[in-house]
Amino acid sequence: MTLIYLALTERVNRFVTLLIIQGVLLFGIAYFQLKHIEFANLLFILLETLIVKSIATPLFLYYVRRRNNLYRLSESNVPTFVSILVISAALVFGFVLSLFLQDLHIKTMFFAVAISAVVTGVYFIISHRNVFTHLIGYLVIENGIFLMSLAVGAEMTMLVHNAILLDIFISVLALGIFINRVGDTFQNIDVDSMSQLKD
Amino acid sequence: MVVSTYLITAVAISGLIFFLSNRVANQILGGVFLIIQIGITVYALQHRGSTDSLYFTFDSLGILLAIVLSILSITTFYHSYLYLKRHAGSVRNDSIYYGALILLIASMTGAYFANHVGVLWFWFEATTLCVSVLIYHERTAIAIEAAWKYIFICSIGISFAFMGILFLSVVAYAGGLTELGLNELMATAKGMNITWLKIAFILVFTGFSAKWGLFPLHTVCVDAHTGAPPPISAFISTTLMNVGFLGVFRIYTIVAQTEALAWANRVLMICGIISITLSAMQLLRVTHFKRMFAFSSLEQMGIVALALSAGGIGYYAAILHIILHSFAKAGLFYHIGQVDRIYHSYWIKDTGGYMKINPLGAIVVLLIFMMVTAIPPSGLFVSELMVFQALFAGSHYLVAALALLLLSVIIFVFGRNFTQLLYSEGTPHQVAENARINKMETFSQFILIALIIYLAFDPPSFFTELINSAVAVLI
Repeated sequence: MTLIYLALTERVNRFVTLLIIQGVLLFGIAYFQLKHIEFANLLFILLETLIVKSIATPLFLYYVRRRNNLYRLSESNVPTFVSILVISAALVFGFVLSLFLQDLHIKTMFFAVAISAVVTGVYFIISHRNVFTHLIGYLVIENGIFLMSLAVGAEMTMLVHNAILLDIFISVLALGIFINRVGDTFQNIDVDSMSQLKD
Repeated sequence: MVVSTYLITAVAISGLIFFLSNRVANQILGGVFLIIQIGITVYALQHRGSTDSLYFTFDSLGILLAIVLSILSITTFYHSYLYLKRHAGSVRNDSIYYGALILLIASMTGAYFANHVGVLWFWFEATTLCVSVLIYHERTAIAIEAAWKYIFICSIGISFAFMGILFLSVVAYAGGLTELGLNELMATAKGMNITWLKIAFILVFTGFSAKWGLFPLHTVCVDAHTGAPPPISAFISTTLMNVGFLGVFRIYTIVAQTEALAWANRVLMICGIISITLSAMQLLRVTHFKRMFAFSSLEQMGIVALALSAGGIGYYAAILHIILHSFAKAGLFYHIGQVDRIYHSYWIKDTGGYMKINPLGAIVVLLIFMMVTAIPPSGLFVSELMVFQALFAGSHYLVAALALLLLSVIIFVFGRNFTQLLYSEGTPHQVAENARINKMETFSQFILIALIIYLAFDPPSFFTELINSAVAVLI
């Protein structure tokens, strides 16, 4: 549902709220999927999903939104209706692929949703021209990947830790800092303003 | 515990540089790190095949690339020193530069020796962060654009590569593995589900292509070169591309144990020839020296992909080519820093008469032109000859013919643009009056040129033995 709503809304606050909901959902899924692993490991993973995904990243996004005066982003290249169709198709694709790749060691439902989230994130990036929405799309991809790590890699907790590292290092530290720099240098964060690197 | 100690020391030195924010400290600590870097490389060479700190193994390919990294670290530190001295930035920025450079070298070393797919992926992620900081060094609009594009596309690439690793974990777990060690994966590869393995390979290949500088995520490297300081461009185009190559090579060695090998070869061949084609097309319209060199790297990586896909002698050629290309392209990027000091521009149209202005530098340009375009006595001539030998031996006549045609176009473009730089009589845009180039600055480039010739025509036995050992798992 959060994926489909992502295509409907244009308000920046809504984008961030959807990410918070996804973070809380991932926290619950992580708890039920990883209950059997050692306590310290489980605690770390749960704290990460709750603190980084549901609290720190959204707070940081709110800060970026305020700093760059972003309230409504209606710069999608395609109509909302088409976006809903594409995201619905992504969900169907996710389920078909998970059925096609049926394996004893994967959780089909989570895997299907994870694939759909990744495809939706990629589509979201392609269909928008704003650096901020690109970041939102990237975070949706990350959430999809985290869910996928739970669906297929729950037995190898190192992979779940790696998925967490992907969150902390790239999205929070680097992308956010650069968004602010981009906004300061180019006066807006539209990707069209960054077109000096071409032949 | 040698690798762990090395990595902790690198982080400590980097932190100290950042904390002290002092030019003298930057140089002293940079020098100390270089000694440590050479030390770990020598140690790895002496302990070939042994495992260290659980997740690192000193294998032949890792050692070869670490040797290249150590050599280019020395030259890159030297040219960084010259670059920072002349660009008179704040001490704080210079310290960030040196600190990030040390972390980048340590991350690449970690990636070279990683024996676990998850650990390898971690170091890929680390290199992305360090390089982004370095690309951003000049704080100009172009630098920010390049850094943003680099970090964003690389992050997408890293995410895709991670998905590939997750797919790989499914087949590994089905085969009884609970860890993703490279040796264990190779040993159990034969029983793996081919469909899952193919998906894993294509995702990892796509993700790591951002670092390898190969189609489909090649654009990220091209833009990064344009915005980065020349010594960093030299690193992005060489040792960092080698990290990307190594990542794909590691997964390829797993796939090579299965019946998916022929399919993987086709993927590599298609991406290789597309890379060379895109490079030739872009080079025809390129107007900026750094972008020209960047597209040349795309072409060279395309050749490496073709070599891998052809198999046989192509495996040896791929590794030889990637090593020799590292020295050639690094020399070219170091020298373009000198060209910029004279013309205050990287635009081709702004240059001319370089032969009169800086004769020694002009000789370097001529020699490196020969090296990069694989004109004898370039060592790249030997490796490219082997690549085409492998392509013909595998009956890939059409691909070989197309590649030869495209390489001719690329040689023409390089010749045309270097002729403009060296001999054009037109008035250059702006020749700096006080741009005196110390002859010693070109010394490093002559050394690299000598290495390219020596390693191809009269290689030391340990060098050929290391390459043969690196490709032994594939033959």
